[in-house]
Amino acid sequence: MPRVKVVFFASLKEAMGKSEHHVELDLPLTITQIKQQLASDLAHGDALLASGIQSSVDFEFTRDTDWVPETALEVAFFPPVTGG
Amino acid sequence: MIQVQHEDFHVDALYKRLLQRNKTGAVVMFVGLVRQFTDQPEAECRFELEHYPGMTERNLQTIVDKAKLRWPLLDVCVVHRVGRLSVDDQIVFVGVSAAHRAEAFQACDYIMDYLKSRAAFWKKESHGTDSQWVAANSNDDKSLERWSE
Repeated sequence: MPRVKVVFFASLKEAMGKSEHHVELDLPLTITQIKQQLASDLAHGDALLASGIQSSVDFEFTRDTDWVPETALEVAFFPPVTGG
Repeated sequence: MIQVQHEDFHVDALYKRLLQRNKTGAVVMFVGLVRQFTDQPEAECRFELEHYPGMTERNLQTIVDKAKLRWPLLDVCVVHRVGRLSVDDQIVFVGVSAAHRAEAFQACDYIMDYLKSRAAFWKKESHGTDSQWVAANSNDDKSLERWSE
């Protein structure tokens, strides 16, 4: 199974207690499926299931229903952005 | 030019970068600053900006590319600071040069609207021992609606 780097940012990083995690994922999976797997695997993983948590795959924004391909290297989860 | 950096920026230098001899008819610039966000003494207010290296720059490039497709622009310059900042510090610069003012005004507005909602930055405000991540403003998403085609 592909080994994927998962990274967390901002308030989600603090809630998860870590900034990154390496995991073998049986891709393709949807973002929702990855959230659910990590939520059950990781301590404090429930934070991933909070409403509004956004995601990206290899630096492109994704939606919960998007499929993450086998070629994916990095998946990120984060709260809504607040720049500017 | 797109830059994500810890250091402060100089508006006069960025302005000069936007100028193209015999072509530029208008330059519109926006600067966002850290305002005092509580009633606490200014010295106790701390402000931090986190970003996602690699993704944030890509987000900004996408926004600028879309603006350039939408309006005939001569140049665009976006500088966004990250790390620890203080009240009154500069956070972000967006500058647009064009032959005419209308496209320069609109493109600058467009880039800032998308930067607020489609670029990977997160703000954290602290004062004393309290700190909190800034929540996204629903008005920022509404601002994007006016650019829908």
